[in-house]
Amino acid sequence: MSAAPRNPARGRRLDDALSQLVDGLTPALPISAIQDTDYSDEEEAIASAENRRHHVLMERAWRILDTHPSTNAPDPGSPAGLGGRRGSIAGTESINNAPDLIKRKLRRENASPDKAVRFSNLYSRLLTQPVLSQKWGILFLLYKLSASEDPVEGGERSRSPLMDEAHLQNILTKGGARPRRGTMIDSEDEGPAISSSASQQRVPVAPKMERQSSLRHGAGHEVDRNEVDHAERPAGHVDTGANVHSNSEHPRPPSPARPSTSGQGKPPAPAPTEHKLLRDLPFNLQGLSSSNLQFSSPSSLKLPSNLPAPIVSLLYALAEPCLLYKGLSVFVENEEGGLVNQSLRAAIAIELRAYLSLVATLEAEIRQALAAIGDGTEPQGIRKGGVTLKRCMVWTRDATMALRLMSLIVEEAQSKKGGQLISLIHGFSTSHGDPFVCAFAEKLLAHVTRPFYDMLRLWIYDGELSDPYKEFFVIEPGFRPNSDPRRIATSVWEDKYKLDDDMVPSIITQEFAKKIFLIGKSLNFIRYGCGDSAWVEAYSTEASKELRYGDTATLETSIDEAYKTTMARLISLMNGKFNLFDHLQALKRYLLLGQGDFIALLMESLASNLDRPANSQYRHTLTAQLEHAIRASNAQYDTPEVLRRLDARMLELSHGEIGWDCFTLEYKIDAPVDVVITPWASTQYLKVFNFLWRIKRVEFALSSTWRRTMTGARGVLGNVDDKVGADWKRARCVIAEMIHFVNQLQYYILFEVIESSWDQLLTAIRKPGCTLDDLIEAHTKYLNSITHKGLLGSASTSRYGNSTSTSAKQPEESFLSQLHQILKFMLAYKDAVDGLYSFSVAEFTRRQEINAKIETRTAQGHWGMTDRDLLSRQSNSRPGTSMASTPDIRPDSAGVDGVSTPLSLSGHDLTADDNMLASLRVRLRELSADFRSRLNILLGDLAYQPDVDMRFLGVVMNFNDVYEPKRRRAAPSARDKEKEKEREREKAKRRAAASAAATGSGSEGFPKEMRH
Amino acid sequence: MPPKADQGDDKRQAAREVIDILQEISDLLNTNLDRTELSLCVSLIENGVNPDALATVIKDLRKETGASKRVSNAPAVE
Repeated sequence: MSAAPRNPARGRRLDDALSQLVDGLTPALPISAIQDTDYSDEEEAIASAENRRHHVLMERAWRILDTHPSTNAPDPGSPAGLGGRRGSIAGTESINNAPDLIKRKLRRENASPDKAVRFSNLYSRLLTQPVLSQKWGILFLLYKLSASEDPVEGGERSRSPLMDEAHLQNILTKGGARPRRGTMIDSEDEGPAISSSASQQRVPVAPKMERQSSLRHGAGHEVDRNEVDHAERPAGHVDTGANVHSNSEHPRPPSPARPSTSGQGKPPAPAPTEHKLLRDLPFNLQGLSSSNLQFSSPSSLKLPSNLPAPIVSLLYALAEPCLLYKGLSVFVENEEGGLVNQSLRAAIAIELRAYLSLVATLEAEIRQALAAIGDGTEPQGIRKGGVTLKRCMVWTRDATMALRLMSLIVEEAQSKKGGQLISLIHGFSTSHGDPFVCAFAEKLLAHVTRPFYDMLRLWIYDGELSDPYKEFFVIEPGFRPNSDPRRIATSVWEDKYKLDDDMVPSIITQEFAKKIFLIGKSLNFIRYGCGDSAWVEAYSTEASKELRYGDTATLETSIDEAYKTTMARLISLMNGKFNLFDHLQALKRYLLLGQGDFIALLMESLASNLDRPANSQYRHTLTAQLEHAIRASNAQYDTPEVLRRLDARMLELSHGEIGWDCFTLEYKIDAPVDVVITPWASTQYLKVFNFLWRIKRVEFALSSTWRRTMTGARGVLGNVDDKVGADWKRARCVIAEMIHFVNQLQYYILFEVIESSWDQLLTAIRKPGCTLDDLIEAHTKYLNSITHKGLLGSASTSRYGNSTSTSAKQPEESFLSQLHQILKFMLAYKDAVDGLYSFSVAEFTRRQEINAKIETRTAQGHWGMTDRDLLSRQSNSRPGTSMASTPDIRPDSAGVDGVSTPLSLSGHDLTADDNMLASLRVRLRELSADFRSRLNILLGDLAYQPDVDMRFLGVVMNFNDVYEPKRRRAAPSARDKEKEKEREREKAKRRAAASAAATGSGSEGFPKEMRH
Repeated sequence: MPPKADQGDDKRQAAREVIDILQEISDLLNTNLDRTELSLCVSLIENGVNPDALATVIKDLRKETGASKRVSNAPAVE
């Protein structure tokens, strides 16, 4: 029985060999395999079964062999011809490379190169043997049969340039990435030509279809149908084409249109053949126009109009890298942009170079394939060549993806610079879902961040900002014309550099950026503000190290280190070289009245001087008194460095006031320390000092008055007790009350406020790892708490202070004015008491005179006192009485701090004296009542303060509930004014009544409520 | 005849050498082909059979019969 009856042309030898091979591979049938019992003999049965099976297998084998194009009918028995057409045997280039494939396989599967070496030896020996003409074929067969080979159908194993070129790793880090939807393409290229997502999606589908069809027998018909559909195909060629395709179940992508236009057919407009397109392809991929595909503009590629649809769709896909490359190469050529931009350009240039080497490989492949198929006039040549447009497209797919990503970056980078650009690329590398994109962006990032890290390094190790294109996140703001002149002095620390949050790249966190900013700023400050550039240089040479993208841990530790070193150095400089703490201490001691003996002495020695008007104060006397106070007090033991800065002067704002209002102490702060003790802080200190000085002055005045009354009570005042004793008693009570108030106030401010804030400041400063910024902040907080709690809160405080809200501002404002008011009342009262004292003294001397007269008269033998005496006195003093009547006295006593001078009492007129005494009494009573009501309001405000300390002050002042705190409603100021007016009217009425009554006791019954 | 016989001897010698080499390569690649099968394949390919197709055939046959049950029996003459 013939194994191959269907093809008589087939060689007999071939048949024999195949049948032997089939038998060799077929095991003997077991007995159990026979079902039919037609045969009597078992052996016969087996033989026939085997025969049948053999027959079937032979049939099948031939069928498979037939489907492959090599053993085609034309010349089956001519090995020589086969040898000459090696390329067409398998229709694939793979066979020619069988030795390479084997070598690679061995190398891949074995760790040691032994086997590969052995194979090389064997192969060279084999080459010397003249017997075989199909050495590659055999080797290929062996290769195909090799054990672990996965069963790939047909010659699908491609020799892709993507797989074997090591340098392509650069551009193709990830194989097998999925094709993306055409995001780029839509934005980059003009619409209809390229933006077909259809062509993209066809890519993965097409090979699969072909593979299936290559498996299915007779699937070639499908291809045929495709071909017939093409209108241009000349009718006479249908047969040939159909033949070719039905005979060759070929795994190559059957490029349908190609054969049709070649050959005799003359279509109206000859479309370029695929191999021509292929030949042009490398040029197109490099962004150059070719004869068939021309760049009509930088962003569009013109395709020949008469191409069949499948080719057009392939070209669409292939056009994408061409256009992208063209655009990117233009970008790379560009010169402008900052450093980060330039490095991005360099990174992209590297990638483009990798892309070009891919194109070069591709070109070599195409050349080889084109050479193999000759001039391409053979119908099926292109398929045999092994390189097709489709294959090129697959090969360039990953590269296309990379190009797409790059041009996306380039496009978005146009409006960005520096840190923002880095953030953009970093965003791709961290938050993009595609691992290909991530890896690619990461790779770009390593290049792009280089200038950034250079800048960073210079900044944190040298404190220098080297940023010609303003790309770093630290900026050096230029001079702002609208900047507050008061703040220019502090600009070394605060305003010289700024942190620009927008420019912080996302590779470092915000707080990290703040740290970096602080490091550089401190270094810069040490160098220029503190004049210690030697240390900075030593530090930078010693600590400087390379910073690079990627090793975040190293970066963090080195920055932390730099941070610690720099801060410690800065603090120690501030502490040691510039005596910051000494200055703070001195400020507290002298401006905040911490040094009690010094202040007391100064006040005592200046008191007589300062009572005079402000314009009669001379600086030399002030400084002389200051010197005296320093020398005589414990302040003399302070360092001369501190005392040198202490100065006494008059404030400029002297509009006819007395010296007390204008006197101020000053502590001069110079260059590096003024970073902490800013000019703003200095004014705050001055403000506090002035307030404290005023309190101190009132206290001083009150206590001196108190002393006088006490000493006077033993002598002068005791003699006039019958007349003004009650007045004195009342006055002493009020003065004691006032002294209590002043003492409490002083105690509160000095101890509760200043000392506790100072303590907080010290703990903040002594905290380890304290930075200059912390210092400044602590100091500002210290001042704010003093001004706020010290009842000094004002508009300027709340601008800096963060704790004072707008609602708290209003009462605070009035605290200061209330206190000033109360202090004024006290001074006025003191003056009034002084007036009372003078009156008492005058009364005393008058009595002395009378007594003396009486004594002399008695001694002369007359009556000591006669009626005439009294009468003449009255008549004499008539005009004086009218002069000293109420209208004349009133102007004196009307002013709050008006002094009723003893001169007005010099008339020695009893009636005039009585008037005087009455008005003095009225005045004293009024002042004490005003003082009380003011104090009540103040206490009422204090009781509702959010701050505990301030409430405490209220409690301390009113510990035995002597006062009745009035809760002042948050009334609109108009109403306040209304009340004020009412009160004024009330007062005027009272005064009128009092003067009318002229006895002083009539105004007793005024209800207190009416004054509020 | 001697020259012819000599030539035949030479040829056979060369053929054996070739088969030896191929056998070794085949072992290297674990193709599981024995010497007979190998020589048969060589002759088939020398006669113009597509090696790709032949490989398919052999795999097909192996799959069909089950590689484990292969017995090296004498080739049955039809």
